[in-house]
Amino acid sequence: MNAMGRRSTAAVAVLLIVALSACDSAKSALHPAEQAPATTTTPAAPAPDCGNPVASFAPDGPRPAPGQMPSGSFMAKIQQRGRLVAGVSADTLLFGFRNPFSGQLEGFDIDLVRRVAQEIFGDPNRVEYRALTYAQRIPALMDGSVDIVADVMTINCTRWGQISFSSQYFDAGQKVLVRSDSKARGIQDLNGERMCVAKGSTNFDNMKNYPKVIPVPVDDISDCMVLFQQGTADAVTGDDTVLAGFVRQDPYAKIVGPPITSEPYGLGIAKTHPDFVRFVNSVLEDIRADGTWRAWYAKWLKPPGAVPQPPPAKYGRAS
Amino acid sequence: MKTAPISQEHESRARVLIADAFAGTPGRLRLFGAVSVTACLVFGAAGFLLVNHLDNSLGQERAHAAQLVRIQTIRTSLVKADANATNAFLVGGLEPADARAAYVDGINSAAATLAEASNADAASASELQAVNKVLANYTGLVESARANNRQGFPIGAAYLRQASKSLRDDALPPLETLVSAERKRVDSSANAVGHAQDGVLLLLVVVVVCLLVTQIWLFRRTHRVINLPVAFATVLVLVTGVIAIGVMGWSRGRDDKAREGPYTQTVALATVRIDAFDAKSSESLTLIARGSGQPFEDRFKSVAADARRALVDVVDPRTRSSFDVYLVRHTAVRAADDGGRYDRAVAMATGNGAANAAFGAFETSSRHALTQQSTELSDALAHARFPLLMLSLLLLAAGVVAAIVARRGIAQRLQEYR
Repeated sequence: MNAMGRRSTAAVAVLLIVALSACDSAKSALHPAEQAPATTTTPAAPAPDCGNPVASFAPDGPRPAPGQMPSGSFMAKIQQRGRLVAGVSADTLLFGFRNPFSGQLEGFDIDLVRRVAQEIFGDPNRVEYRALTYAQRIPALMDGSVDIVADVMTINCTRWGQISFSSQYFDAGQKVLVRSDSKARGIQDLNGERMCVAKGSTNFDNMKNYPKVIPVPVDDISDCMVLFQQGTADAVTGDDTVLAGFVRQDPYAKIVGPPITSEPYGLGIAKTHPDFVRFVNSVLEDIRADGTWRAWYAKWLKPPGAVPQPPPAKYGRAS
Repeated sequence: MKTAPISQEHESRARVLIADAFAGTPGRLRLFGAVSVTACLVFGAAGFLLVNHLDNSLGQERAHAAQLVRIQTIRTSLVKADANATNAFLVGGLEPADARAAYVDGINSAAATLAEASNADAASASELQAVNKVLANYTGLVESARANNRQGFPIGAAYLRQASKSLRDDALPPLETLVSAERKRVDSSANAVGHAQDGVLLLLVVVVVCLLVTQIWLFRRTHRVINLPVAFATVLVLVTGVIAIGVMGWSRGRDDKAREGPYTQTVALATVRIDAFDAKSSESLTLIARGSGQPFEDRFKSVAADARRALVDVVDPRTRSSFDVYLVRHTAVRAADDGGRYDRAVAMATGNGAANAAFGAFETSSRHALTQQSTELSDALAHARFPLLMLSLLLLAAGVVAAIVARRGIAQRLQEYR
């Protein structure tokens, strides 16, 4: 991309930051429930106030060159171990899935993890993947069994209480998937219907706002597709990104309705490693700026229209 | 009203006649004659029935053992099919033709044995029907997994997971219940084998005592040294009775030996194989789950421990050593996966990889051992029954002959009172 293009991208990014922060504050004021999903560990606790959830730690100074992580940093520890341990999904088409032909993991989230490994080791293949269910993501970070989670993970204040997030790298929204012959135009038309939803997800937490819809909770959201195709569930709710992957696998399914919520994605990192968050944010800066983000978007989501701009980074969180 | 006195008269007349018949020495003679003849006939009839009962018990034991083998075959075929389906999936890309063939083979064998087992025993038909339903559902899910897989859709993995789960949750537990019920039936049939022999011994003692008492009474009353026909009847009963006890003891011994040997081996080998296939599936599922497979690895540990326990009873050295080799190779698979070398772990667990090859060696040797032992079991139980039909007829004939001879002996003495 040329200098002109980069400058205009930056300008759009600045505009978006302003718009998004306005949106966020408005939303948290209007719909506190949406911002305060209960988690499995603290089901009844109100959401802690974490300021703007999508604000992360700003990168500090120039990033160390691959293979030369500063001693004492978490990145140095990873470098010493010889591989980055990443918690991912193995069956979310488009974001993190096992390619049945090659047996290898692929997707937007996988590309992100490989890029982080590239920046630490100079080799994108130095990754050990751990396929996690949604509910396993935060515990895996907290007990140190993974270094980073790249698994369509929504940033919110409750989770900030347990882990840290990178800057936002994707803007998703919760939607509903129904049979292609369904007359439903959104979740409001699905009262009394069986709605499959993954446990430990913000989607699951949001279901309590629709008490007349019958939830069918499963461990893994791809199990929802099995139940849906077998007729045991009438609909599936999840992020539009995940549902888009399902629709690709089933021409008799369609996504309906406006987004129920906004789901900003971030990479999850343990609370004890703010240095790694800053490092990853610096990598994300590059990905946004050098056109990689839009290339990945085009590659994985194959939008019918124009490829959008990446969500801008927001900083200002004190570590 | 008028008939009452007449019938009373008849009754008392009959009583008098009976009393006359057994009154005095000739009367007593008639009484002892009746007792001896009855004792000999009872010996023949009851001996015939007891030996038949033994024959039936052994037959039932054989039938229950055969049914047990069938149900174990169904379980083995199901876990084998599942192990092959999950392993083929793990390889990625187009499944290896032999893994697919092994899966189809497992399903066909399970379906055929299910039909055979339902026909063989109506008591377990309803459970087997439930298993048949699960099997239909299972193959449907596996085919969906396969169809998705072939199109490159990752939800194939979810279908496979559901398939494995339905098999483990819905098909294996009723089969386990049937196995323990069938083992109990084998045991109770085996107990009946002992009862029949004890029955013949008791019968022999009672009949011989009856004949001896008759002989002693005759000796005292008639002052003859010995009543030869009654003595002949006694010896005939005694000899055939002793032969019967001997032959039944032999049958029982064969049965005990079959239970200690091939039966124990068949049960242990079948258990080891089922647990081992379950372990192999769990190994594949752990790798498919890629890092979040701890529940599957836990299952591996538990079923592998079950297999080790059952292996204690197995005498076939090749089965024992090959399973231990597989366990060592599995540890290497886990070490590779946990050490971040996932691709290496998958290579070891599939195709010609070390762990998969070791499992294949175990599968072959345990299959041969099981076939050999279950054939031996069936043969041994058939062999134990072999002389019993002849024996039952011998007892019946001996009883009838002894009764005729004893009656003649008493009749000779009665003549002397005419």
